[in-house]
Parts: sequence; structure tokens; C-alpha cells
Amino acid sequence: MNQIPLLTTLVFLPLIGALLLILLTGRVRIARIIALSIGLAETILACSAWFCQSTYSISTTAPNGFFLFEDIPWIEQLGIRYTLGMDGISLLLVILTAVVTVVSMLVSWRSINERVALHYILLLAMQSGIMGVFLSLDLFLFYLFWELMLIPMFFLIGIWGHGRNVYSAVKFFIFTMFGSLLMLLAIIGVYLIHGMQSGSYSFGLAELTGTHFSTATGLWLYAAFLLAFAIKFPLLPLHTWLPDAHTDAPTAGSVILAGLLLKTGAYGLIRFGYPLFPEAARIMTPFVIFLAVAGIIYASWIAFAQKDMKRLIAYSSIGHMGFVALGIAVWTPVALSGAVLQMVNHGLTTTALFALVGMLDERAHTRQIEDYGGLWDKVPIFSAFFVLFAMASAGLPGLNNFVGEFLILAGSFKAVPLATAFAFVGVILPLVYTVRLIQEVIFQEERRELPMPDLTSRELSVLAFLALCDIYIGLHPAPLLEILKTPVALLTGGAP
Amino acid sequence: MKTCLELIILLPLLGGVANALLGGRLLPRRTSELLACCVIWGSFAATLAAAFAYSTPVTVEVASWLADFDFKAPFSLYLDPLSLSLCLMITFVCGLIHNYAVGYMKDDPGYVRFFALLNLFVAAMLMLVLAENLPLLYMGWEGVGFCSYALIGFWYRDPKNATAGRKAFIVTRIGDVGLGIAIVWLFQLCGTESIQQINTMGSLLPLGVITSLGLLMLLAAMGKSAQVPLMVWLPDAMAGPTPVSAQIHAATMVTAGVYLLMRMYPLIGASTTVTAAIAITGALTAFYGATCALAQRDLKRILAFSTISQIGYMMLGVGAGALSAATFHLLIHAFFKALLFLGAGCVITAMHHEQDIFRMGGLRRTLPGTFFPFLAGALCLAGLPLTGGFFSKDGILGAVWLKGGTLYGGLYFMGLITAFITAVYTMRMLLIVFGGEQIPLHTLSRQPGSPFVKGEVKPLPRIMEWTLIPLALLAVCGGLLNLPEYLGHGLLNSFMYLPGSHELVLPHTTELLLQLVAATVAIAGMAAAWYRFGGRRRQLRMAESQQPAQGLHAFLLEGWRMDSFYDLLFVRPFTTLATALWKRIDEGCIDNTLENIATMLANYGRWCGGLGHGRVSLSLVSMAAGAAVMIIWLAWAAV
Repeated sequence: MNQIPLLTTLVFLPLIGALLLILLTGRVRIARIIALSIGLAETILACSAWFCQSTYSISTTAPNGFFLFEDIPWIEQLGIRYTLGMDGISLLLVILTAVVTVVSMLVSWRSINERVALHYILLLAMQSGIMGVFLSLDLFLFYLFWELMLIPMFFLIGIWGHGRNVYSAVKFFIFTMFGSLLMLLAIIGVYLIHGMQSGSYSFGLAELTGTHFSTATGLWLYAAFLLAFAIKFPLLPLHTWLPDAHTDAPTAGSVILAGLLLKTGAYGLIRFGYPLFPEAARIMTPFVIFLAVAGIIYASWIAFAQKDMKRLIAYSSIGHMGFVALGIAVWTPVALSGAVLQMVNHGLTTTALFALVGMLDERAHTRQIEDYGGLWDKVPIFSAFFVLFAMASAGLPGLNNFVGEFLILAGSFKAVPLATAFAFVGVILPLVYTVRLIQEVIFQEERRELPMPDLTSRELSVLAFLALCDIYIGLHPAPLLEILKTPVALLTGGAP
Repeated sequence: MKTCLELIILLPLLGGVANALLGGRLLPRRTSELLACCVIWGSFAATLAAAFAYSTPVTVEVASWLADFDFKAPFSLYLDPLSLSLCLMITFVCGLIHNYAVGYMKDDPGYVRFFALLNLFVAAMLMLVLAENLPLLYMGWEGVGFCSYALIGFWYRDPKNATAGRKAFIVTRIGDVGLGIAIVWLFQLCGTESIQQINTMGSLLPLGVITSLGLLMLLAAMGKSAQVPLMVWLPDAMAGPTPVSAQIHAATMVTAGVYLLMRMYPLIGASTTVTAAIAITGALTAFYGATCALAQRDLKRILAFSTISQIGYMMLGVGAGALSAATFHLLIHAFFKALLFLGAGCVITAMHHEQDIFRMGGLRRTLPGTFFPFLAGALCLAGLPLTGGFFSKDGILGAVWLKGGTLYGGLYFMGLITAFITAVYTMRMLLIVFGGEQIPLHTLSRQPGSPFVKGEVKPLPRIMEWTLIPLALLAVCGGLLNLPEYLGHGLLNSFMYLPGSHELVLPHTTELLLQLVAATVAIAGMAAAWYRFGGRRRQLRMAESQQPAQGLHAFLLEGWRMDSFYDLLFVRPFTTLATALWKRIDEGCIDNTLENIATMLANYGRWCGGLGHGRVSLSLVSMAAGAAVMIIWLAWAAV
């Protein structure tokens, strides 16, 4: 069928790169170049997967909707298989992962000067983990990658962070670890129950789907999954690790955290949570919707009071991910595809915003809003990008975030009109904190003399690329929505 | 036809993008300015071509946009009499304003940003008007909001300007929530977003639903069109450059709310509650704006409140179901209000950026090129018989009268009172600014910080005064567009005939009588203003103006104190609560609880760890206890 196992390559290429870099510790320039070329190679591979949709013949063993599928036995005694699969949802997130990783490498090109090789080793290892999470179709494998992506982030914050970085790193670690341990228990629970029912023990998603649970058992197991995913999301009230982690992480860390790690929770809920426990998920839906809408309003409101730009964007992320949670929770075709698209959109826009703040921090060594002002006079190109991405984040139509949010709201109104109406109120609040941020940072008079050269060509190309993505998705989201159609229809049980 | 419609929007869009990307370094200043103006006139030419080719309403699908399962919102444009007449007005007026802006901004270094945003604004406005489906309309709606925000705060160094832009953006966004909810609700009800299909399906919906939808859209219109109670942003929006005030905050964007209600009238007009609410909002706003304009002393703020008031008339017209009368007033108002703003821009430039009318005087002699067009616009606003403003306002009042009943009767009288006040404040402005003798500029005590400029009025770039002339002609002769029935044929009325509008025709005698009443009111108002501000009494008023305003005067000057009221009711609680939520709830409560749990677990872990350290006896005891529990449990299970 496929000569090159594309999915395996996608998952393990960064890890091999990371191992290669271990040999190069101390050779800063070469380490940077090798890491970047691996990142770019990943991007090319990820994009080539786009074209595999039609050319690759779908193997008979592949579950419906998966156009790339690799499946070999691994630990046969326990029914653990090495199963990777790619459908439209994974495809978009894999491309996002590749792109955001490259961006994170480029924005920390000059700001990381100690232990450079280690920095890239961690970034690449994390990329492997995230790719694995987005591609695994075996619960055991999924759990392995889920843990793999955690550890590099812990060190990234702990080593290159600033402020109370060790505290934040530990906090991040404990929060996510707590959730994932419970998820591990639930995974084993599902495995045992399915094994006892059918006699064949397996961790494969396809086998486990359709396992019957009694209502109470299903609820408990689903709750464990939901907890792990809700922490990653993050849903109210489990979000408090995020502002700390973001504020103290280095730029690359913030970019990957907001751009990718938050998406793994949503992805897990879509791929595993709902399909495994349809009944429990339905029972818990009102609860999740409540948390999502409350989170939108609560976090956006708090964002308004922030003084540190990174913290502001961190709270705004909680609000935006609330929309994604709403879209997933109502589980209608339009809302779900909107939610997946919004994951991509939020990934791109927030990445850009964190990169912008990182650039300011690199120049002036402060992230306090009150230190800035009047940037348009000094760095007009930077400021134009800042306004563009801030507006995208505030949901200006014509830019990408609007498309996702609007589809989510249009899809949810049918199911939960009142909650959707409240979520619409949540559409005002991002604008309120965004225009405040723009006014205090970009407009008005300069408040402190700060060294402020305009963008370098490296920074310009990163931002221009992300801006083009934002505008493209904002004006022509049809190709992306088309890709999502089949998997979303299969998941929601509607006609494609 | 398709090409024409595409060009109408694409030209300004491309002009704006080209200026934004290339302006400054790659394009010389002249080219930038020329490009900005040419694309708008090109768009006007395309609109004219579309007008000549026009026979029946057409829908043109240009490209796909949102398409997800059954949710479809392509880039499709719809041309009917309403959108066509608005497009003609928008491209023409904006073209003139662009020309004017070349002169107005000739010393400003930020011209690239200015013209790029001005062009983008026109593109968004045309998108709003031509949109065939609601999400696309929403895109234009938010697009004009963004451009308005960026242009109000154009001189961003002054925090006051940036704050005004931000206020405009946020207040209008509050209204937009209404539109957003209505859009997704309509999708759920009708399964489509096409405005035409929704309008035809409207009669199938239950009345209660239509009423709710109509009220949501009214909320959106209140925000965009600065109607009570969301009108507070417009007076502050005058912080922007004057061409911006003329283009966005007089002629085009602020009428978008009226346009929305007219566009959706076949749907929402079915509910009498909604039409009554629209009419009441309109009449109240008209009255509010006129009374506030009476007390203002900043030339641009007078015009801003007057805009609020005049849009109130349009809403009143929509509420009475007189769509063509409302459109007529919308068009005529665009002409004369743009004219007044541009004239005010000339005055302000000539006076070295003085905006206080009580520091002006005698300008009829020193600025004749501005005075005569301004006079034409002012008379039009005051409703002097036979000017465009007289006919258009009368059309609305006539329709309200025709509606009859207690409610509409009351609203008619409110409209008449407002017309009287309008005549008064217009003449007050005219007499104070242009009447009397000029105050020598060097005797004026300048505000600290502003440069002291000696000498007389500053000479104006010719292009600024020239653009006033076509607008003045349109304002004065605009009545010909839609003559009352007894004088012949209403051109616009017959062209604008909209399906679903319940427009009735007044008997000729009633109409003549009503116009007589309106004319009397307008002339009485002007006479009253002359009695108070004319001739020698002008000096008295100038002397009085040195004292700070008190009582009713201060109340009106501050716009019925709505700003401080909202500040107390919404703004301050919002900011205070934001900090409180963050410090008290998020950090103090949630984070603290989680941290306490973590600490507790850590201590527990340490305690457990202590168990492992050498205390063999304890370990053995607990192991035995555990085993016992398990055995008992197993035994239980076995039984």
C-alpha cells in the first residue's frame, strides 16, 4: 500500500532529530540549523499528507474516514497495538503542529543562548509527543504520547522561564499529571470491561468503541477522561495553572503551550471521550456547556484587568477555548467542525500574539502593559501586525477566528439557544480587552524610553506567514471545512 | 452586471490594500492620494454602469465563503432599488469626501494609513449594503466598525482620541450581539441565511418569534445608528479627522442601522410591536439629539447631535412603514450633513483648529466660498420649504400622520416639536459662526499647549471648498428626486416600491396642509433663533457664553448626562469587578483552594513517606490490617 510509512515518519522524525542533536551539544549554529530543517521537513511531510487523501487507497482494515492508517501488533500479550491513523481532523492538527513548532523555533532563534541544543531537543521531543497524540488510535499508545509531550514542557518552563518559573513548571506538571493518572486508570478500566465482555483484550479505539457500560460506570470512566482533558483545555475551574505557566514560560514554550498543548485536550474529547462514552457524554453535556460558557465570560472578564501582556493573552486563551468546548459539547455537525476549525484558528492567532509579545520582551525586557505606549510611531510594521492579530483574536469577520466562532455559535443555537445567547455576550468581552491592549501599547504617547528596532526579516516572514494564514482562513475556509466534513459527519452520525 | 458589482466592492478594497502595503516607501504621496480617490470614483462609475444596466433585482454569487454542511453563506451580492440607490449615494459622496481629504490632510504625515482605512471603509460599507446573506452583511457591518474605530483614533497620540475610538467600537459591538443572535436564530428557523429567502419565509414564523427577532435587530440598529440608549459614542467620535466625521459618522455608516431595518422590513414589519418600538426609538432619539444640539458649543458636536436626531427621523419613518420616505431622507441627509461637516472642516481649518463656535464670527465675509454652501446645507437641515430636507422630512412626518392612532399621533407631534428645535439650533449655529464681526484671532486666549497663531484666517486648499458645491446643489435641489404626489411624480417612490411595504398615499389636500404646518414650524423656529441670536443680540449671547453652563443648559450640554450615568452603571462596575474577579476569585479562591489541596496531598505524602522509614512494626500492623480487610471482603463476596 504505502511504501513510506508517512505517519510513523511524522511521529518519529523529530525524535530522531532530537537524538541527533544530543551529539551536537555545544555547537549552537549547527544545532539551530538542524532543528529548523527538521521542523521544515515535518511541515512538508504534514502538508504532503493533505494530498494523500485521494491518492492513497484506503486499506480495508482502516476505520471509516481514515485515509492513512498504520497498524502493527506491538505487545500482543496485552492486546496493545501500534496503530496510527489520520483523518481530516488529525490532518489539520498535524499541519498546525508542524507549523507552530517551526514558528516556535524561529521566534526563539536569538533569545535562547544557553543550552541551545537542549532547547531544540526538548522542542523536537515535544513535537513527537504531540504528533503522536494527534495520530494514535490505540489508547495505550495515546497515553504514552500524552505523557511524552508533558515532560519537555516541564523542563522548558523550568530551565528557560523567568519569574517564578520553577513554581509554574511544577504547578503545570502536577495539574496535568493528576488528570492523566486518572485517565490511565480509566483507560485500564475500559480495557478490562471490554475484555470481560468480549473475551478479547485490546486497547484499540475501534475495538473499544461500542463497549457497553452501565450508566454509573460509564459516568465514572468518562469523568476521569473529561478531567484530564478539561485540565488541558482548560475548563473552569481547572485553569489556574495556565496563566502562571504562560507568564513564566519562554516565548517558544508559550507558543507551543497555547498553540498546541491546549488543543490536545479538545482533540482527546473529540476522538476518545465522546465516541467511547456516548451515553455518559450526553448526560454530562449540560455541565460541560455550563463550564464552557461560564469560562468564556469569566476568563475574558479577568483578561481585562491584566497588567502583564502574556497573562492577558493566557486568560484570553481560556475564553477562546471555551468556544471550542461549547462546540464540542453540543456535538452537532456545524458546531463540531467549527470547533475543530477554531482549534486551528486559535492556534495560529495566539501563536502570533505570543510571538509578538516575545519580540517586545526580547527588545525591551518587560511585558508590563504600562511600560509601553506609542509603538506605532516607532515600529509601525510591528504595530500593524499587532493590531491585525489582536483583531483576529477579537473575532473581526474576514479574519480566521470569526469563522470558527460563528460556526460554533450557529451550530449550537439549535441545541442550546440560551447558552449560545450568553456566549454571544462573550463575544463583546474579547473586543473590550483587545482594544484596551491596543490603545495602551500601540497608541498614545510613549511612556518609557525603550530600545525598539522594527522587525527583522526573520520576524517579518514569520508574522507575514501567520497573517496570510489568518486572512486566508477568514476569507476562504471552504477547503478546510471540506476536509472536516467526512470525519465530523461520521462522528456525529449525520450524513456527510 | 456581475463584473460591475464585483468592481464596486473590489476597487476600494484593492485601493486600500495597495496603499497599506505599498504606500509611504514605494508610492509617492501624490500617487497614493490619486489612487485612493480614483478607486472610489471607479467604484462610482461601476455603480452607474450597474444602474444603467439595471432592470430587475439580481443576485450574483461571486465566490464561496462559509460552507459547512447546511450552513451556507457565500460572497453573493444583491442589487435592488434600495441597495442601488444607497450605493450610488455612498460612492458619490465618499468620492467627494476623498477629494476633500486630499486637501484636508495635506500636511499630515499619516496620510497612508488615513487613505488606506478610508478606502477599506468604503469597501466594507458597500459590502454591507450589497450583501445578499446575513453573515456577509455582518462582515461589512463589523468591517465598517473597525475602520470607524481606527479612524476616530487616527490621531492616536492623544489618549482622548484613542478612547473615543474604543468607546465607539465597544458600544456598537454591544448592539451587534443582537444582530449576531438574530442571525444564528434565523438560521435555525429558516435553514438559510439568504436575506431574500428569509424575507419570503417570514410570514410562516410565529408572531412572537418575529417580534423577538425584530427587537434584536433594533438593538443592532441602535448601536450602529447611535439611537437611544446606545447613542453615547457618536458625539465623542468627532475626535476623528473631519472628513472621517463626514464620511462615516454622517453620510454612511451611521445609517447602516436604518438600512438593516429596511432590508429586513418584510420580515420584521409583520410585528406591530416591532414597528412601534422602532418608531418610538426614532422619535425619542430625534428629540434627544435636537435638544442636546441646542446647547453645544463645539461646532462638530452640534453636527453630531444633529446627526443623531436626523437618523431618529429615519427610524421614525421605518417605524411608520414609510420605507421610501426613510430612504429619501437618508439620501438627502447624507448630502446635506456631509456638506455641513465638510464646511465645518473648512471653518475649523481656517480658524487654526478652533472648534468653539463662540470664538468665531463674521466668517460670511472672510470665507464666502464656505459660507454659501454651508448656508444651503443649514437651510436644508432646518427644513426651509422647497429645499431637499423639507421634502424628505415632510415625507416621513406625513407617513406618521397617516398611520394615525394615539401612538403615531403623539409621535407626529414629537416630530414637529423636534423640527422646531432643529430650526432653532441650526440658525443658532449659523448666526454665531458666520454672523457678527470676526474676533481678531490674536486676542483669543489660546489653550495652553496649542501653538499661538497670529494673523487672520488660514487660506484653504481650493479643492476643499470646491467639493462643497456639488453637495450644496444636491441638498437644495434634492427634493426633485422625490416630489410629493401633487407636484408630479415621486421618482424615488416609484423606483423604490418595495414588496411588503405598506405605503399609502396621502390625499393631496392633506399633504398640502401637512406641508403648510411643517413650513410654518420651520420658519417659526428660524424666526425664534433670529430673535435670540440675530443682530445685536448676538453680542449678548457671546458675552453670556463666557460663563460656565448651568442648570438645564449644562444638562443638555452634557447630553442629558448619559455618559456619567453609564459610567456609574456599567463602566466602573465592569472594571472594578474585573480586578475583583481576578484577585479575589481566581487567585484568592480557586487557585488557593487547588493549592491547598496540593499542599495537603504533599503533606500526606510526606506523612506516608514517614511510614516507610524504619518503623517496621507500624508497617507490619498496617499490612496485617489491610490483609484482614481484604479477606473479610472476599469472604463477604463469596457468601
